[in-house]
Amino acid sequence: MGRLKGLSFAGRLITRPAFSSLLILVVMVALTAVLQKNFFETKSIVRNINAFAPLILLTMGQAVVIIAGGLDLSCGSALSMLTCVLTSVMKKNVPASGVYALAIALAVALGMGFINGVGIGYLRIPPVVLTYATSYVWLGVALFLRPTPGGEAVDWFKAFYNIGGVKGAAEWLKQLGARIPSALILVLLGCALWFLISKTKTGRYIYAVGGNNDSAYESGIDTARVQMIACMINSVFILLAALFFVGQVQSGDARMGDPLTLRAIAAAVVGGIALTGGRGSVYIALVGALILSFVNKIIFFANIPYAFQTLVGGAIVILAIASSQAYSLSSSRALLRESRLS
Amino acid sequence: MDIRNSAVVRFFDRHRKLLVALLLIIFLFLLGQITVSNFLSLAQILLTVKLASFIALFGLCQMIVIAGGGSGLDLSVGYTATITSVLTASVMDGKNENLWLAVLVALGIGIVVGSVNGALAAYVKLPPLVVTLAMSQMLQGTINVYTAGANITGRPSPVLQIIAAKSTGIFPHILIILLIVTPIVMIILYKTKWGMKLFGAGANETAAYLSGVNVRLVRCVAFILSGVLASLIGLLLIGNMGIAFKDMGSNYVMPSIAAVVVGGVSLGGGDGNYLGVILGAIFLQTLSNLLVALGWGDAGKWVGFGTVLYVLLIVYVSNRRSR
Repeated sequence: MGRLKGLSFAGRLITRPAFSSLLILVVMVALTAVLQKNFFETKSIVRNINAFAPLILLTMGQAVVIIAGGLDLSCGSALSMLTCVLTSVMKKNVPASGVYALAIALAVALGMGFINGVGIGYLRIPPVVLTYATSYVWLGVALFLRPTPGGEAVDWFKAFYNIGGVKGAAEWLKQLGARIPSALILVLLGCALWFLISKTKTGRYIYAVGGNNDSAYESGIDTARVQMIACMINSVFILLAALFFVGQVQSGDARMGDPLTLRAIAAAVVGGIALTGGRGSVYIALVGALILSFVNKIIFFANIPYAFQTLVGGAIVILAIASSQAYSLSSSRALLRESRLS
Repeated sequence: MDIRNSAVVRFFDRHRKLLVALLLIIFLFLLGQITVSNFLSLAQILLTVKLASFIALFGLCQMIVIAGGGSGLDLSVGYTATITSVLTASVMDGKNENLWLAVLVALGIGIVVGSVNGALAAYVKLPPLVVTLAMSQMLQGTINVYTAGANITGRPSPVLQIIAAKSTGIFPHILIILLIVTPIVMIILYKTKWGMKLFGAGANETAAYLSGVNVRLVRCVAFILSGVLASLIGLLLIGNMGIAFKDMGSNYVMPSIAAVVVGGVSLGGGDGNYLGVILGAIFLQTLSNLLVALGWGDAGKWVGFGTVLYVLLIVYVSNRRSR
């Protein structure tokens, strides 16, 4: 940050790597607002937040793992498996079973993070193949629990989708649920979790380990433990997404998470997370997830034929990443030049 | 004579990874023979190798890109092959005289896809994982656009079918392709200047650059090679299947990477032994055959596949710090 001293406030803002992501997001929101007539109505805002939340949660978890020098190709199947676990433990007519399901799902999620963490951290297996292997284990377990989509959930689990949706909810809860979606609360919960962790020593270590594993190790950081913790934080984010899904559809599906895995990675990269680890911000990764989600909305509202949607989506991902890369390169060069002048 | 320096021990030491892979395959076949009847027969082995040869060929694309370093990886090979199959199906239209045109189309697709991947990954320095992922999404999108307008029509030329699908007795012809490709690859990688440059760029980028290797160009060419190979494999795929369909290549992508790892190639770049990749592919195919034959259903198959891969990674590539 020492290099930034000679710059004005505006100059400092523009040269922040996060700026390009935010700029793209503003453009996306503006475009969507133009295309979608009722964009600013409470109803459609709530609907948008609900549609975006799962990707946001997975992207934030993914970002933590990538910053710690890992990568998680198993997050989609982990999400599917957790929905299957939740819906297998719960009995619709026994409200207390929801509590057991929550406890068991948390234990399972942390266990999954543990298994990935052992491989990435302690055994130092390349994360791409390691999490590829575990993704099949999760998929298999999920299929074992739920060969076909289904299962049951207790009624109060609907609160994870809409607080007002629970049977016998008070009038003010219904009013609240119509304005503040649970998805927003879940995302804020995730943000709070990361905020607390990032203020601890572990939070600093996550960046240090991802930035340079060997130096971190030489400086006396237990790198393996830090990477394992990062994997477990990721698991908690995945669990939050699973709660949202089960709250929404009240059933489990062994295959529903698959398409989200690679989108989460792409979103993290669009949000300025360096795949080499150690750089980026989890909150800006959230912006990346928003950008990708808005891209989908724009494609939808721009009346682009369905067949073109994957094509345009892929092209936009490349464009967004390339432009943010070009931007950060040029701004770092500009920084260098200015610092030489002053 | 000192036993540690004897030729036999040195041979075993140098080819340790290959031998482990080979032993694992033999172990799987024996296990299959004990638990499932008729698992260990020559016909069965050759059938396994035939199915594995597609994974092995895709593994070649991966190996070349991975060897160049820079966390190289090519996730677009599956859809490059698919789009080639879909487009050449109508070009060939079941006639041998159109085959050369199909090969030209395939080469064109491969060069275009590979150059875009290579330019973005090597020159713009975007992460290859994301670039090739987005590329495969774009190719998938193109296929969707193409098939939205018209049905996929056409059949492969008979020659292709003979090469890719047919067999003489129990000997599948596709193995001949593998037998031709393997020595060529080995010679290019180990005996030519370009191969040395590729390994150099992967092993130590800075050192290679300072020795006058154009690291970017070498990596870009690796991506182009991968693209061209993938689209040629697309021709073989349609020859094998007889028709083209939307997702025919996408199931090979992750197994091809796994095969490279099981074959003992470091994902960090800088080395690569194609024989290992072939053995890795055979291992993966045998494993999934065995799991299917055991009749545990989809769930058991995937849990088994994932667990074995995990254990294998621990035994094989884990790189624990010694304290």
